[in-house]
Amino acid sequence: MTDLTKNILRFILFAFAQALIFNNLEIGFGIHLMVHPLFVMLLPFEIGVFSLMSLAFVMGAIIDVFSNTYGLYASSLLMMAFFRPIIFKFYGPREGYDPIKEPSIVDMGGRWFFFVFGYLLLIHHFWFFLIEIFRIDQFFFILQKTVLSLVFSYLLSILLQTFFMKKSKAK
Amino acid sequence: MRNLFAFFKRFRVFLFFAFLQIIALTIYVRYLSFPKSQYLTTASSVTAKVLETQNDFIKHFNLSKNNLALQKENIRLRKNLPQSLYRIDRNVLKINDTTFKQQYAYIPATVIHSTVTRLNNYFTLDVGWKQGIKRDMGVFSDKGGVGIVHNTREPYCVVKSVLTKDINIDVMIEPIGLFGLLKWDGKNARRGSITGISNDLRIKKWSKVVTRGGSGIFPRGLSVGRVESIKGIEGEPLWDVVVKFSENFRTLQRVYIVKNLMIEEQKELEAQIPPDEEDK
Repeated sequence: MTDLTKNILRFILFAFAQALIFNNLEIGFGIHLMVHPLFVMLLPFEIGVFSLMSLAFVMGAIIDVFSNTYGLYASSLLMMAFFRPIIFKFYGPREGYDPIKEPSIVDMGGRWFFFVFGYLLLIHHFWFFLIEIFRIDQFFFILQKTVLSLVFSYLLSILLQTFFMKKSKAK
Repeated sequence: MRNLFAFFKRFRVFLFFAFLQIIALTIYVRYLSFPKSQYLTTASSVTAKVLETQNDFIKHFNLSKNNLALQKENIRLRKNLPQSLYRIDRNVLKINDTTFKQQYAYIPATVIHSTVTRLNNYFTLDVGWKQGIKRDMGVFSDKGGVGIVHNTREPYCVVKSVLTKDINIDVMIEPIGLFGLLKWDGKNARRGSITGISNDLRIKKWSKVVTRGGSGIFPRGLSVGRVESIKGIEGEPLWDVVVKFSENFRTLQRVYIVKNLMIEEQKELEAQIPPDEEDK
């Protein structure tokens, strides 16, 4: 399977899993599970920044259409895509990333993934709930939703990767 | 000019980001206020088809409970049928329908998609303007009012549920007849509140909250919930009334849409009220 078909398949799977399954799970305490940020995270290292942002925007818009949120997912996923190259650069090795590897926990190791994905998911979740609620007197509610959803989405993303992904081999 | 190009070149990533972000946020803000101009919603036929397929799978989860509720409603209605009533007055008085004119018609519908955890919750129904659904029609279930039609397409429509920030259904508390606006704070899907209730009258706990029918969206007297607690608001002569909704929005499946046949007359009359002095 080439990189292109793999990513197209992932795009469809993540968008529909989020729109049809995870958006309908109601756990309580303001927890909102989100797996679609993982798709943006797992795009190849060498992807251009414009195609990265366009992909994130389109994916967010598709989820929006299915859940009557009109731009909320698109905006927050775009935010994450914008910060992805910046944070990748900050945590990157001195000689640059190895292009045959994928930015996943199985390829890059727990320590790297923990910080990079943690920061990106934090930006995504905070922006998402900030825009959704958009009231200064509800600030602690925004924080509560952000932190709780962050923890659970994070654990879910790690589980998905450890179950379904293999280490990339040299071609 | 060269400086301008240099500027664009330098900040092109950020400009592209800002451009897309503005599109997303504009759609988001605009949809909340002007739903007619939007096409990308669950009321459009492609997405609604997918959601209908999804609903085919998940509708069975609450099926037995919903059937029971519908059966109860049937029993209640059957009691009012002529065949279950004993006729006292035989052919003495005939009622011709000039005393009663039909004001409300009801259209049955099925919920194919719904949310309860967001700040603004909507649900999608399998009827649209083909069936004569228009914006601002009321929607209720066998237990009580659940929302107002927000946006329609040919085969589907999106309903703004009671669990929305600015739903503002006018309700009254029975039997004293105090009225106010129903609001939702975005947290608990089982509870809302009524604003504008002045504290000079006493309200009994668990008294019924019904629609007032003032705006012609709902018929008068449709149940919404019961008063759960009453608290005074500090510094204002008002009660903060908490309402427990009679409908559980998580298991909502069968609903009816209210079609008010006299809405035009009411609107025409109300348009003749002269505007306030301050508005001029």
